[in-house]
Amino acid sequence: MASIDTGGGGGNHKGGKVRGKKMSTRVDMTPMVDLGFLLITFFILATTLNKPSSMTLNVPDKTEKVENEPIKASKVMTVFLGKNNEVHYIAGKAANEDPELKTVRFGQELRSAILDNKNRIGEQFVVVIKPTKESTYRNMVDILDEMAITKSKRYALVDVLTPDEEKLIADKLK
Amino acid sequence: MPIVKPKRSGPVMDMTAMCDMAFLLLSFFIMTAQFKEQEAAAIETPTSISGIKVPDKDIMTISLDKDGKVYFGIDNQQNRVAMLEYMAEANGISFTDQEKKKFSIQSSFGLPLNQLKSYLALKPEQQKALKQPGIPVDSTANPQTNQLAQWVYNARKANKDLRIAVKGDNLSKFPNFKNVLSSLQSQNINKFNLITGTEAPPAGWTND
Repeated sequence: MASIDTGGGGGNHKGGKVRGKKMSTRVDMTPMVDLGFLLITFFILATTLNKPSSMTLNVPDKTEKVENEPIKASKVMTVFLGKNNEVHYIAGKAANEDPELKTVRFGQELRSAILDNKNRIGEQFVVVIKPTKESTYRNMVDILDEMAITKSKRYALVDVLTPDEEKLIADKLK
Repeated sequence: MPIVKPKRSGPVMDMTAMCDMAFLLLSFFIMTAQFKEQEAAAIETPTSISGIKVPDKDIMTISLDKDGKVYFGIDNQQNRVAMLEYMAEANGISFTDQEKKKFSIQSSFGLPLNQLKSYLALKPEQQKALKQPGIPVDSTANPQTNQLAQWVYNARKANKDLRIAVKGDNLSKFPNFKNVLSSLQSQNINKFNLITGTEAPPAGWTND
C-alpha cells in the first residue's frame, strides 16, 4: 500500500557514523479518500431523497355560483371512500335508482374498475369522489392519484352525501 | 554468492488527487445541502405519482397529524416575525423582541394563540418535550374559533407570494382535512399543493 516508506537509509552499518533514519514524507491517503466518499454518499442521499413531491389540488370557488347543467347519472361513477381503506362505487345510476354497490380495494382493483367504466362510458365520463367521515387523508390522496393514473380529467371532490346515498352505504360504514 | 532479492512492495498509488476530488465534491454537497428543519410533529405523508417538486421558498405549510391536530409554519424568518406582529395586532396582544426572536426560529408550531407566550418562554428542550395541542380549526370562518384562517391571512399579509402546501398524515381522518380546506376556501384560496412522497407510476404510464 501507499504507506509510509520504510526503506529509508542506514543506521546499522558497523563502524560508520550513526545517521538519523531518513523518513519518507509520504502519507497514506487511502483512509482519507474512503472517508471523503463516505461523506459524499451521505450528503447525496440526504439531500435528494429528502425532497417530497406535491400534487396540486384546485377546488371550485365557493363565492362564485356557476350554474351548470346537471350531469346525467348514466355518465357518472360515484366513488365513496369508506372505512378500512375500502372503496364503494356505483356507476351509471343515481343513488335512488337502486344501483348495484360494488366494493373494491385500493390498488389494481380500483384502477381496473375506473378504467372499465371509463371505457364503457367514453368521452363524458365523470367521477364524483365522496369521502365519508370514516375515510382518511391517505384515501383521498390515493384516489386523486388514481385519477392522474387513469387520466380521468373530469372529477369532483364532494363531501356532502345526499340522503339516498347515505342510505345506500349506511351498512358499509358501521 | 548471495542472490539479490528484488525489494518487495505492493503496488503504490498516489491517492492525493482522488482525495482532493472527494473533498471538493464533499464541500460542494455540504454547501448546497438544505437540512430538514425540526418539525413540531412527525408526519408520514401518503405517496403519489406526481412529480412536481415542492418549491423551496415562499411556502406556507399546514400540517395535519394523525390525531387531527393542525400545525402551521412559513419559511422565512423575517416573514415569521412580521406575521406574528400582524397576528398580535389583530388580537390586541404584544410580544417582546425576545419572544419574536424565539418565534422566528420555530419552523412550525401548533398552539392556540393564548398559549404561545408561555410556550416561547420555555427552553428549547422543554419546547421539544411539550405536546402541542394544535391550532384551533373548525369548519367555519369565524376568526374567534378558527385561528388557522387568521394565521393564513396574516402570513399572506407578511408575504403575498406565499404558496400553500398541505401536509397530511396517512391516518388523519377526512373531516379534519375538510376543516383545513374550508378555512382556506373561506379566504378564497382555491389552489394549493398537497405534499406527498414520491412513488413510481405504473408500468407504461406516461404523463401528458
